[in-house]
Amino acid sequence: MTLLSVENLHVTFDTEAGVVEAVRGVSFALGRERLGIVGESGSGKTQTGRAVLRLIRPPGRIRADRMVFDGQDLMAAGERDMRALRGRRIAMVMQDPKYSLNPVMRVGHQLMEGLRQRDGLSRRDAHAKAVEALAAVQIRDPARVMEAWPHELSGGMGQRVMIAMMLIPNPDLLIADEPTSALDVTVQAEVLSILDNLVRTRGMGLIFISHDLRLVARFCDRVLVMFKGRIVEELPARNLMQAQHPYTRGLLDCLPRIGGPRTPLPALDRTADWAR
Amino acid sequence: MALIEIDDLSVTFAARHREVQAVRNVSLAVDARESFGLVGESGSGKSTILRAICGLAPISGGTIRIAGQPVPTRRGPGFSRRVQMVFQDPYASLHPRHTIDRTLSEPLAIHGLPDTDARVVRALTDVGLPPAFRFRFPHQLSGGQRQRVAIARALMLEPEILLLDEPTSALDASVQAETLNLLNRLRAERGLTFLMVSHDLAVIDHMCDRILVMQHGAAVEELPREALAKAQMKTDYARSLFAASADRLLGA
Ligand SMILES: Nc1ncnc2c1ncn2[C@@H]1O[C@H](COP(=O)(O)OP(=O)(O)O)[C@@H](O)[C@H]1O
Ligand SMILES: Nc1ncnc2c1ncn2[C@@H]1O[C@H](COP(=O)(O)OP(=O)(O)O)[C@@H](O)[C@H]1O
Ligand SMILES: [Mg+2]
Ligand SMILES: [Mg+2]
Repeated sequence: MTLLSVENLHVTFDTEAGVVEAVRGVSFALGRERLGIVGESGSGKTQTGRAVLRLIRPPGRIRADRMVFDGQDLMAAGERDMRALRGRRIAMVMQDPKYSLNPVMRVGHQLMEGLRQRDGLSRRDAHAKAVEALAAVQIRDPARVMEAWPHELSGGMGQRVMIAMMLIPNPDLLIADEPTSALDVTVQAEVLSILDNLVRTRGMGLIFISHDLRLVARFCDRVLVMFKGRIVEELPARNLMQAQHPYTRGLLDCLPRIGGPRTPLPALDRTADWAR
Repeated sequence: MALIEIDDLSVTFAARHREVQAVRNVSLAVDARESFGLVGESGSGKSTILRAICGLAPISGGTIRIAGQPVPTRRGPGFSRRVQMVFQDPYASLHPRHTIDRTLSEPLAIHGLPDTDARVVRALTDVGLPPAFRFRFPHQLSGGQRQRVAIARALMLEPEILLLDEPTSALDASVQAETLNLLNRLRAERGLTFLMVSHDLAVIDHMCDRILVMQHGAAVEELPREALAKAQMKTDYARSLFAASADRLLGA
């Protein structure tokens, strides 16, 4: 069943230097599955994710033939409808928890805020649910973390707290924008397996945005490869290593590998026809 | 005798309420023309070791020798002609209001070296940038181009030793590949010695002959490149880094 369908999405910015076309005609559909979006920086991944939530601020503009989430027309929805969707049904986790958590509010307070205001839970119930959410992202000492300030958390802990916060309302779709890029590899692997497990057990849809093809291949069902605002290739994640498009191949081949040859790494040919 | 010798180095920062021992009794030796890598999770003390070599971190114990001579307390011009550092973030390490020309010619002026114009043009050409880039400002360059400028600047004084602190971590994979190729070419052409930091084991493996794994400020395990490729590490920590390394995710 289709949860989200996007047809011919454009995101443009009117700047002094002219019009920047950040997203140029992107189309995809998503069920309750894990969809990866990969590409180099500037390829339009973040703007695509934000456009789904209509979080593009002026001078940015969104245009699409169709953008429908669970039967609801996102292009026609008013700002009020969008606010009701954001967080509750479609959640977004950003790259750096430092910028997403409120620095002057204790973690527990931030987790409970939505539960109390949006869901009208009592203090005690909200507390219990928040602790439960922290436990779900495998935070060993939730009571202590509830009392912590954001700056007291390590990167990995901060990102788990963010994921816990996003998952409390039980959204149908989670958009994770480079959720582990700021983390160490060992921590990265842990956070990803937590995310993966949650998506499976709750039957959510996931849009996983990353510049790292290897991560996406590992954690997604399907992959969109973006270049200069366009999707150049779409393929099942398990076939990523057999990708055909020269851009996808180039991104894979230019990575050094443990035990690989010492010869120069193959560079991406940006003068080829596909790159125009 | 190794070109860089670090014996029992400790670095202690006096933070507000407590002391942070960022480096604990680390020893390593890098031969001339060798490429030596430091890996470990963030906060493990890798950058602090490079900074200590340059006199930018408070050494609380141990010694650092370059070509057999203990580094002078004030590093001075003689040191910077032998040893140069390249930082992770090419956005932060170049002065935003200086042209590339000024950035590259400044070290020459400080050291009273002649032929500024010719040297700047050659430096740009060596790192694969058109000479016309002299007149640009950092914000008019891409991340990869800026890192090339940072490398060109480090090479202006023709040092023997480059200290590289995550030189490609802020770059896209394709730009990383170009930058690593550039560094390897320059090392071969000029007989440079590298001491390189990265959190990416595959990058270190591609670039380095020997590797020191660090954790919590201490040396965990040193291993030659061949041992890494064969997964012959002795400690659990080194093995866990290897297992989590992104390029393992593809299942070889
Ligand atoms: N406010 C803005 N004004 C102009 N251009 C922008 C703005 N925000 C983003 N862009 C441009 O949109 C393009 C896509 O950006 P983004 O989606 O963030 O890329 P990615 O997430 O793939 O790195 C980039 O070229 C970027 O420069
Ligand atoms: N100027 C400083 N003052 C206090 N603590 C510092 C300072 N610089 C680094 N540290 C601490 O030293 C430790 C090692 O840091 P660093 O060498 O930057 O690690 P790495 O490069 O391996 O990520 C960290 O705990 C860090 O917080
Ligand atoms: Mg982005
Ligand atoms: Mg560092």
